[in-house]
Amino acid sequence: MKLKNLTKEMRKLWDDAHDFDPNDPMVGLTGKDLSGPKLSRRTTLRLLAAGGTLTAAHLVPGFSTMAHAEGAAGGTLNCGWAGVAEIQTLDPAKIGQVLQFQITSNVLSGLMHIDASLVAQGDLAENWTVSDDGLEYTFKLREGVTFHNGDPFNADDVMYTFERSSNPDISIHSKNLANVEKLEKLGDYEVKFTLKQPQASFLTKTLERASGRAMTIVSKGALEQMGDAQYGLTPVGTGPFKVTEHVLGQGVVLEKFADYYDPERPKLDKITIKPIDGVEPIAAALEAGDIQYIGGNPLAAQLIDRFKSNPDLVVDIKPAPGFQSVWMNPWREPMKVTDFDKPMDELMKDKGFMVRLALAKALDRDTYVKQAHFGYAVPGYGTINPAMAFYYDEGIADKSLQAFDPDGARELLAAAGFPGGKGFPELELITTPAQKRNGLVLANIYKQVLGITIKVVPKEFSVGIQDFNNCEYDMRLGGSGGDYDPDDGVVDWMKTTSKFNGRTRDTEKYAFGYFSNAEADKLIDEQSVTADLEKRKALVQEANQITSDRVACGFLYHPVDVQVRHKSVNFPAESRIPGLHDFDRVTLG
Amino acid sequence: MSDITQNLDSDPQPKRRSRFRATLVRDRKAQAGLAVLLLFVIGAIFAPLLAPFDPNEMTLDMMSGLSWTHPLGTDDLGRDLLSRILHGTRVSLFIGVSTVGIALAIGIALGLVAGYFGGWLDLIIMRYIDLQWAFPNFIIAVYLVAVFGTGLLNVIVALSLAFVDDFARVARSMTLSLREEQYVDAARTLGFSKARTLFIHILPNAVAPIIVQATVSVSYAILGEASLSFLGLGVDAYTPTWGLILADGRGFITQAWWLGVFPGLAIMLVVLAINFVGDWLRDALDVRQAVEG
Amino acid sequence: MAPVASYMLRRLIGSIIVMWAVATLVFFMLRLVPGDPVAAMLADAGGPDEIEAMKRSLGLDRSVFVQYVIWFQNMLQGDLGSSIYGSRAAVTDVLTQAIPRTLSLSLLAFVIALVIALPAGILSATRRNSATDTTVSLLAFLGLSMPDFWLAILLIIVFAANLQWLPAIGYVPLAEGVWPWFSHLILPAIAIGTAFSAIIARMIRSSLLEVLKSDYMRTARAKGLTPWMLMFGHALPNAMIPVITVIGIAFALLISGAVVVENVFAIKGLGRVLIEGILNRDYPVVQGAVLVVSAIFVFSNLIVDLLYGVIDPRIRLN
Repeated sequence: MKLKNLTKEMRKLWDDAHDFDPNDPMVGLTGKDLSGPKLSRRTTLRLLAAGGTLTAAHLVPGFSTMAHAEGAAGGTLNCGWAGVAEIQTLDPAKIGQVLQFQITSNVLSGLMHIDASLVAQGDLAENWTVSDDGLEYTFKLREGVTFHNGDPFNADDVMYTFERSSNPDISIHSKNLANVEKLEKLGDYEVKFTLKQPQASFLTKTLERASGRAMTIVSKGALEQMGDAQYGLTPVGTGPFKVTEHVLGQGVVLEKFADYYDPERPKLDKITIKPIDGVEPIAAALEAGDIQYIGGNPLAAQLIDRFKSNPDLVVDIKPAPGFQSVWMNPWREPMKVTDFDKPMDELMKDKGFMVRLALAKALDRDTYVKQAHFGYAVPGYGTINPAMAFYYDEGIADKSLQAFDPDGARELLAAAGFPGGKGFPELELITTPAQKRNGLVLANIYKQVLGITIKVVPKEFSVGIQDFNNCEYDMRLGGSGGDYDPDDGVVDWMKTTSKFNGRTRDTEKYAFGYFSNAEADKLIDEQSVTADLEKRKALVQEANQITSDRVACGFLYHPVDVQVRHKSVNFPAESRIPGLHDFDRVTLG
Repeated sequence: MSDITQNLDSDPQPKRRSRFRATLVRDRKAQAGLAVLLLFVIGAIFAPLLAPFDPNEMTLDMMSGLSWTHPLGTDDLGRDLLSRILHGTRVSLFIGVSTVGIALAIGIALGLVAGYFGGWLDLIIMRYIDLQWAFPNFIIAVYLVAVFGTGLLNVIVALSLAFVDDFARVARSMTLSLREEQYVDAARTLGFSKARTLFIHILPNAVAPIIVQATVSVSYAILGEASLSFLGLGVDAYTPTWGLILADGRGFITQAWWLGVFPGLAIMLVVLAINFVGDWLRDALDVRQAVEG
Repeated sequence: MAPVASYMLRRLIGSIIVMWAVATLVFFMLRLVPGDPVAAMLADAGGPDEIEAMKRSLGLDRSVFVQYVIWFQNMLQGDLGSSIYGSRAAVTDVLTQAIPRTLSLSLLAFVIALVIALPAGILSATRRNSATDTTVSLLAFLGLSMPDFWLAILLIIVFAANLQWLPAIGYVPLAEGVWPWFSHLILPAIAIGTAFSAIIARMIRSSLLEVLKSDYMRTARAKGLTPWMLMFGHALPNAMIPVITVIGIAFALLISGAVVVENVFAIKGLGRVLIEGILNRDYPVVQGAVLVVSAIFVFSNLIVDLLYGVIDPRIRLN
């Protein structure tokens, strides 16, 4: 963040945003400040600062978090959803893929919705109050809202959604509600959540309509009438668009919901979303004008330059929140490490660790990005990614022990007993079929730098993830997406008890999954409840550094979020949330 | 249309041994086919010497077109296409031939036994063969690979098992018709055991249609392997087989047309050559039965 | 019972047994396939408890034999279960949508193939060893030798990407208009039908040549019939008899070609459903697809056999 470019005015705003007591879990805001119906600019900036996502752009005069849609209404937008053959379900309780909630974000509402700054604003919640201890959230629901089928929306629907989502037999997101002690209906348009522990991310992660699938409001009437299976195809919600058609393998048709509670939205009449698997077909469709917008899975990197050079297309690239790594099983020779807690100098003498570090140091990330992603990725050294703005350590490339160092890698390998790669066993690198190319590039890099042979084994995701969770693999290429908050990175991945860390392994054979470090655990737990920006940043970066230096895995890259659309599609900046495709303010022409 | 009214003479019938030569001399397609096959076989055997680059060597020269250094261009990872296609010849031909070899061995054994011994043995064997025959060979192969996994051995086993039904049927029908021949009767009367009769008297005469079936099957085996690789069910991620090269190149074809043309051309030329040769063999061996495939 | 009827009955029963055997074999072998579909679905969100719960709700926690019995019983009542993936759509629904696509594709491919093969075969046979014959033969060989997915890719590049005359992917039902339906299917139909066409053309040629040489034709010629009548009234009908068997066998080519070509053109027909089902370990879907595909095969072979039996009495009494 280049502070030197701010003017004095912006500097004042910046300082005020960061002006709060480090020990204050409410960051200097009162329950009243956090309550609805709208968060003030000052509150918004403070929240942004506390979340570490405050950027210079937010301080520019005229910035508003509640923008209005511009442009002429009407028209049909044809979209292609990349890299997928069929959009299997749109039932919030069962959604597991980003490409699915990109669609439901337009069809179903949550109590809140994040805006482009990732701050939660009220959606079906008109107003809300938060108790000063942060445990009670009382929501005043918006009146006069109807579902697509005409049913009126009220507190009963919130209760029903909560019941449904808490049931692990129906919903795969039931764990997201684990922190809710109870939900009470206080009136036809009033509900109250009582939490077990204060949770800063409650408004955002649990209640908003995109990633907070747990409380995405579903229609009881529709579910009872059409059943789960049909509801998964044509969900009925309260969003700006309704699903009028959904044929598996052919696509989804969305149409403007005339009775949406905001009369100014949506602008478009109709949206068609076709899943288009295959690189050439989607490029052909866009260039021929069959579609004007691409969403879904990340676009094949080789198309980006092609689209950029097309004057009719607009290509918008932002850092994407996520990371990908080369995971190395610490229970397999020759990279075996059973104790990551040893002091660093002792660890460095451990042969298994020497191999791990060698494998990490050998990662020529620049060449990898160039060959595997045609330059469209950012070398990574930890789970904390550039989209996390303030928390991202821009100097980590120089500080990490994992930085590319071919000589150092070779020395380590030799010291571990495999000079020039001689005698090194052939290891298997699991990738998904789509990432096979990336795996081949890696194998080649290892061959060049260390002289070892890595065999690329593409496996369907369902098979590969099993091996990974059971700790029965040598190496695996994989990672995470949708990581906006440091918690998404370090809590979900780098703790001994992280949900991805050897979840289904034989705990007798393997004491931990892929990594376990007591100090990192401590730091991660601490940062999770620290509101002070600077302090949290320090904790996060320290934890991140540990995971990097102690080779929790060979961190490889951070992906980028690429939006490609025809120039006739007006996509306001406020709708541009990396990872989502919200069409409610989009116009054509 | 005027040709219908002409009387068509039947072909002369020279002796078996020189039929090969006689028919070959007349059949230019077969000559071309044999020549092409020879070229491919040489290419396969000497691939490591002939290929200018290591087929898996990645350079930063990605998707570059035809040039003196890369006569057929490079792919998206900078690998030389000519080298990959040359090495692909090895795998494709090897798989094609070994698949048919195994299918032939199993299929013939089954067919001979069923046809000659008859009875409940015939019933069981043929019920199974009919069962397998109810399904297209390729789909059986896909299924077997999905069950047992990919890899060179698995692909060969999957394809072999899938093609067994064709050979079994041919062997059985030949055995059935030959069983009634006079010389077989003679052999039995002279006291030859059933097994000896089977192997010494019946088998050699059943060879002709089997040979023709083998050529047909080789071409389908090569196409089958290419299709499997294309679907991602092939040998592995490394070994360059023609189907794999096409599958890998699919996403880059508009920028690099050579990735889509040359591998497919290689497949087509080999299969074409085999088909020409197969046709010639059918002619030379005077096989008239409808051969499976 | 008349011999024809009893023959038909025997073949019918045999066919049903074959179908059942195939479906059963596949059911059990499928369970051998590595990869737990439930673990994949819950990859991000579930621990061992969620996995168990989901397995229970999908009925995957019972023993394999129990699952088989349940499946069989349901199948007899017309219920093929639900996909264990995503939207848990009923398998019958998935198949009902997929079947018309594959059938449209195969039938179109079949028609195109015949439209090309008939004149080609006839020309070839009547102008034996002429330039026409050689050209047609060569083209037939080429068509036979081209991998269907390669032809598909080439067609896409030329007609969809470069010339942009036709769409690259997808399927439009006939109900939405003849041209959209046709334009989406023509390229894949050509890709699939080419090899088929080549085989039929060659078969017509050789069969016709045999018939033209025969005594039957000699008699017909002696009667002084015109060339047209000779060809279409006598030669061709007799020549088509062995061709029909080949058509029955080569039909396998159409369906297995569909598997790969549907993949290239992103058409969600039976082939695609089957492959995706296998790759996703979606057991119920694979079961259902196998049942349908084997039904199509078995019954098309049955029809061919019966036709053959009706036309050629010698075979019937085998």
